[in-house]
Amino acid sequence: MATEERRKEILETLKNAVIQYDEDAAKEFSQMALDEGMDANDAIFNGLVSGMEEVGRLFEAQEYFVPELLMCADALYVGLDILKPHVKQLDLGIRGSVVIGTVEGDVHDIGKNIVKMMFDVAGFQVYDLGKDVPLDKFVEEHMKTHSDLVCLSAMMTTTMVGMKKVIDDLKAKNPDVKIMIGGAPVSQDIAEKWGADGYSPDATNALKDAINMISSLKKMKEEAEAKKGS
Amino acid sequence: MPDDAMTPRERVLKLFAGEKIDRPPCFSGMGNVTTEGLKKFGYKFAAVHSDAKMMADAAASTYKLFGFECGVVPFDLCVEAEALGCAVNVYSHVEDILYPTIKTKLVNSEDEMDIAIPSGLTERGRVPLMREAIGLMKKDIGGEVVAGAHVLGPFTLAGQVMELNTLLKLSFKKPDKVGKLLDKLADALIIIAKEYEKAGADYITVREMGATSDVLSPRVFKTLILPYLQKIFSKLELNTVLHICGKTNDIAVFMLDSGAKAISVDQKNDVAETRKKIGDSALLFGNYDPYNVLVSGTTDQVRETIKQCMNNGVSAVWPGCDIWPTVPPANFNAMMDEVKQYRR
Ligand code: B12
Repeated sequence: MATEERRKEILETLKNAVIQYDEDAAKEFSQMALDEGMDANDAIFNGLVSGMEEVGRLFEAQEYFVPELLMCADALYVGLDILKPHVKQLDLGIRGSVVIGTVEGDVHDIGKNIVKMMFDVAGFQVYDLGKDVPLDKFVEEHMKTHSDLVCLSAMMTTTMVGMKKVIDDLKAKNPDVKIMIGGAPVSQDIAEKWGADGYSPDATNALKDAINMISSLKKMKEEAEAKKGS
Repeated sequence: MPDDAMTPRERVLKLFAGEKIDRPPCFSGMGNVTTEGLKKFGYKFAAVHSDAKMMADAAASTYKLFGFECGVVPFDLCVEAEALGCAVNVYSHVEDILYPTIKTKLVNSEDEMDIAIPSGLTERGRVPLMREAIGLMKKDIGGEVVAGAHVLGPFTLAGQVMELNTLLKLSFKKPDKVGKLLDKLADALIIIAKEYEKAGADYITVREMGATSDVLSPRVFKTLILPYLQKIFSKLELNTVLHICGKTNDIAVFMLDSGAKAISVDQKNDVAETRKKIGDSALLFGNYDPYNVLVSGTTDQVRETIKQCMNNGVSAVWPGCDIWPTVPPANFNAMMDEVKQYRR
């Protein structure tokens, strides 16, 4: 078992590995954490993810730009790949699952990739459909994976309208699904008008909203179960 | 001087030549096809990209309907990548307006970046079609307004021929490798741009939106992007504009250093500040929001925004991106009227 001092040292190194997009260090110290008997969950959340949170701040402060963000994410994924198999199911606290993609006719996927990254970081199961995704594909993938959430991204006013169709189709097939939309032309107003459950102007808020939505979804399910039981 | 003292064409050419003009012209170097124009001919948006006559008609219609002071082709950003060997999707099955996109990339991994520019580039893809469209458009309206065309910048083109995520990361990790690719793409762009010039284009806009400060740092812009833009502009003889949308205040001076005759920015740029930085004589085009103002604003908002652009010091009233096809005629007319009434 690593001493408290050693634990802090490893966590700090993992955090910095992500911030400094150092994939080698992320790999080496993730393995070291396991070898020295550290809790994988601890290494993920207090090491890697804490680094990614700092990266998010640097991005918002315009000290980091998209390339830096992508490289930090790579370092994060290297660490996650090593640590994830060792997370005890119990404390994984699975946050939920999400289908995400940029709608048909739209190749702008930089923003979508950042949102996706946030979900990865928070321990979501993410099904990324990519960009220019045929509208039916969202419904199909949701029905296949039974995801808690579907996230749609559009960067153009013309492709944005495709979201309405996806929302209608999804809700018709599964009224319980939570849908979140985003991208530069999208607004809270539009989200409400089209019946989406959430909208967010950036990736950090997107994640917060998603977590809230999913916990309310889970609560609803539990209440329904309890009623059935009594 | 009354408005008919010079034709819109003369006004723009004088502007590029640095001569005095009565008011800023109202034109663009990017696509400006409108649904009204398409309706006039009964053309489907998906069809105009692959037919020279339809493309030329659609491009000329914005001048004919609204008096917009130019004609510009093409409407999509895929011509150069297609000539290099990428496949394009024009969404011919869709009735709505969807802009063409690249279907298959040319470079699928870091190892494939050492591409060769195919010989006979000017006969590949839609380059011949572009040549014909420029000629037709010029014949149609070229006596009254300027004929323009646009190409991508090398970095944005690189993002079309290879996966953008990979490109972005490599621009940091292996700038030399990216630089080599940009150099080759710059050569290809020079060949294509010269072909447009030969076909009769009066000016060409190089669109390097992939290098906006929303995505890339000003430092990387200066060290990695700028040299290849400089290469392009040093080789072109016609009038040139460098356009970048999104955040550009920190790179405006570099943009001017590229050697382009004029720089073009969008609504995210604080134009008054940029004007101060670059001085009075530099040509700065911009910067109204083509969607949130021209399409969804009221006519009053349109007038207010256009006046603001001119007061802030733009040399030409010019959109932040392509004119959005669904622009309401009343808004288009309000914009033109506001510019025509303006006197410095
Ligand atoms: C880079 C870029 C391109 C690249 C895209 C490369 C790629 N793989 O993504 C290329 C060159 C290919 C391109 C092409 C075109 N583009 Co473009 N492009 C841009 C540009 C410069 C940057 C976009 C960007 O990545 N921003 C950075 C990211 C980080 O921000 P973001 O996407 O907004 O994402 C954040 C939030 O919106 C949010 N978010 C995003 N998605 C989601 C989803 C959910 C669920 C949630 C909750 C939140 C969320 O979180 C993100 C992170 O904080 C913008 C202008 C600008 N500066 O915004 C124009 C812009 C988007 N493009 C535009 C246009 C018109 C085009 C073209 C049609 C041009 C043409 N004539 O062909 C083509 C489109 C082709 C097609 N059919 O898709 C217009 C759209 C206008 C409109 N209102 O519809 C813009 C706004 C330019 C402008 N000034 O008008 N473009």
